[in-house]
Amino acid sequence: MLGLSLALFGAALAAALAGIGSAIGIGVAGGAAAGVMTEDPNKFGSCLILQALPGTQGIYGLLIAFFVLNKLGLLGGAGAVDLTWNQGLQILASCLPIAVVGWYSAIWQGKTSAASIQMISKKPEAMGKAIILPAMVETYAVLALLTSILMLMGVQVG
Amino acid sequence: MGVAKLKKAELYYHKSVHDPIAAALQESGACQIISTLEAEGEFHKTPAEVDALISCTEDKLADVRYLNRTLTPHYVDPIPALDRMLGERPDVTMTELAELASNTDLKALCEKTRAVEHEAGNVRLKLSEARLNSSILASLSFLDYPLSIFTEGTQTLTALAGNIKTDNIPALRATLSEKFSQDTELLTAPYDEKKDKGQEVCAVIMYVRSIESEIRELAAKNGLSLIEVPASFALTPAEEKEKITASISELEAEDLKLTEKLKALAQENMLTVQKLSDYYNSLAARYNGTAKSDETDCTMLTKFWIPVAKCEELTAKLEAISPEVELIFSDPAPDEEPPSLLTNGDLVRPFNILTELYSSPTYRGIDPTPLLAPFFWLFFGMCLGDAGYALVVFGTILYVFKKYKKMSLGVKDFIKLFLFCSVSTFIYGVISGSFFGNFIDSFVPVLVPLKNSLMLVDPMTNPMQVLGISLLIGVVHLMFGLLIAAYDKIRSGFIFDAIGSNLSWFFFIVGLCLMGVGMAGMLPAHFTQIGQAMAIIGAVIIFFYAGKEKKGIINKIISGFLALYGSTSYLGDILSYSRLLALGFGSAVIGMVINLLGGLAANIPYIGWLVAIVVVIGGHIFSILINILGSFVHPLRLQYVESFGKFYSGGGEPFTPLTLSHEFVNVKA
Repeated sequence: MLGLSLALFGAALAAALAGIGSAIGIGVAGGAAAGVMTEDPNKFGSCLILQALPGTQGIYGLLIAFFVLNKLGLLGGAGAVDLTWNQGLQILASCLPIAVVGWYSAIWQGKTSAASIQMISKKPEAMGKAIILPAMVETYAVLALLTSILMLMGVQVG
Repeated sequence: MGVAKLKKAELYYHKSVHDPIAAALQESGACQIISTLEAEGEFHKTPAEVDALISCTEDKLADVRYLNRTLTPHYVDPIPALDRMLGERPDVTMTELAELASNTDLKALCEKTRAVEHEAGNVRLKLSEARLNSSILASLSFLDYPLSIFTEGTQTLTALAGNIKTDNIPALRATLSEKFSQDTELLTAPYDEKKDKGQEVCAVIMYVRSIESEIRELAAKNGLSLIEVPASFALTPAEEKEKITASISELEAEDLKLTEKLKALAQENMLTVQKLSDYYNSLAARYNGTAKSDETDCTMLTKFWIPVAKCEELTAKLEAISPEVELIFSDPAPDEEPPSLLTNGDLVRPFNILTELYSSPTYRGIDPTPLLAPFFWLFFGMCLGDAGYALVVFGTILYVFKKYKKMSLGVKDFIKLFLFCSVSTFIYGVISGSFFGNFIDSFVPVLVPLKNSLMLVDPMTNPMQVLGISLLIGVVHLMFGLLIAAYDKIRSGFIFDAIGSNLSWFFFIVGLCLMGVGMAGMLPAHFTQIGQAMAIIGAVIIFFYAGKEKKGIINKIISGFLALYGSTSYLGDILSYSRLLALGFGSAVIGMVINLLGGLAANIPYIGWLVAIVVVIGGHIFSILINILGSFVHPLRLQYVESFGKFYSGGGEPFTPLTLSHEFVNVKA
């Protein structure tokens, strides 16, 4: 059963660390958004979009976690597949890219979002640029997601 | 298509027709007034007639702004905010507005509002004072003496009140009885020594007048922070409390009444105020526009940019106003930098906003919109990539278009952008077999054969295939950018640079790709040799072009290798397109997860089906929203960073014609 535990540990890391990162990132951006909205409540729409940007990492983490659970047969009542500890470790390793990169990139994306929110408070017409700057950070989360997916698909179980 | 050709217009007219002429320029919505100030670089004197009109308008505008600011917080808009945004607002003409303006006594309305506002301010001031006093009374409520002891005192006695920490009370009591045992008395609000430890309670010291200064000093030393007892207090706390409670409820009623009055004022007048706001803002824009004119004693000269297509229409309009106008059109001089206006057909126009979000092209530059439109369309489709989601988006937009007929062109175009993109989303959803995630496999297995027969790619079981396609699209997109850059350079006569910095890379990368594909056996072997030749030619050109301005053979060699090292940035750019797979995959898997949760929820006894429906519908709505955001942002990034980086830098000034103000109502000419 060590294999299963290791694999679950990986899934937990993916969902938890990426989720923590997104929560911090959205929190940082939300603080800036609230500040801007005290001056101009009409900016709610654009602030919300910018605040939501660092939220994707959490979703990517969740996605990988589900992917793992599905692979392990833990969803839908089919019963868990048998896993050697080696296979479990492989799944754990596959979860690490999105767990670690998701965690950190969401925090930094949140900081960039916050800065972008400050920017649109002065220059609302620069919304396009304001969205792109945080999206630059997210690239690495997308790459990590891709790595995790490809790694997981490569791991043979059952 | 592309950047609209503009003419520079010089309009000479008699001062007597200034008003109708200015109105015609504004209502045409096609004239961007050129500031003579900028052109001549010196202080420009506004014609006196226009100056008078401006100051008159500004006066009215100040009143309108005041009313708007004061009444808006009390106004309940009968039109929901979303409807308002989508153009469901009153339609009015400028003539109607002018009539409304002359029939409305703004000054009187302002005075009325100001009077109510002032009164409300006073009431609130009194109210906050009363509330403060009431809290002081609450802390003194343990006293049975009349409060005049603090304010007037008796012949020999007076008192002071303050807050003190319970810990300090014993020390204070001890000191007082030790020094002035006969002449003072310390009273404190009841407290529990254990429970209220460290809390502040109210304490009162009564003392003989003669030792006032000593008492105050002692009190301060023992940490008693004094409370200022208001002079109006004379009766016992209980009696005063009764009085003040009555006055508070009276003031509150008064405040409520005044707020109601402001609300009534707002409800009654806000529509007028909003209409007048647009009216006077339009007038202010109009006069500030013609303020940039030059003048003689009787005539004025206004210069503006106008799209070629609008010249005739405007000429006819102006000549109808007065025969005494002279309109001269000329092409922009080579040293002039006219603003840029994007004109694209109905299919491409919705994508204009993507270019404008980045930066408008210069007047003589390339308009990248038609070039980015198909790619953005494709990318969005691949990122959202779900036929079901596409249908939801498509249906919602059709409904919006059916319900809201008065949308402004900008809003309409922006929504249309998503309408177009929902088509590519649908197509990609069908060929990748995604319909609300794996909805078909989970809940309607009957349709699985149909779904499978339409599938061309399967990201779920064969992601490498889609990754390859994504990267290939990336190569095409980047090469397309390089070719445009080369075209742009050749157009401006820099053929050598086009070959050295763009075409060379094109050859190099296309060559490498052909080599790779050929070696992988996907294409006949001779493609490998063609690719090899192309790559070598490209590399050689890159190598030598980089060193052309360097002196010395060593420097030339170093910069040549550095330039070749730049191929890593192309590698990074191409890999960046893997997000097309990742995001499409992401939305498919999120959809799958939602269906899975729905399926699990369905197992709950009795109400399972209900929970499942809520989970599936709610989940997919969430998924659509979050994925649309991602599918908008990431393709945009690929355009802005990977593609525009190769050929486009923008930097143009957008065309901003003189128009009517549409902040609150739809103003027609």
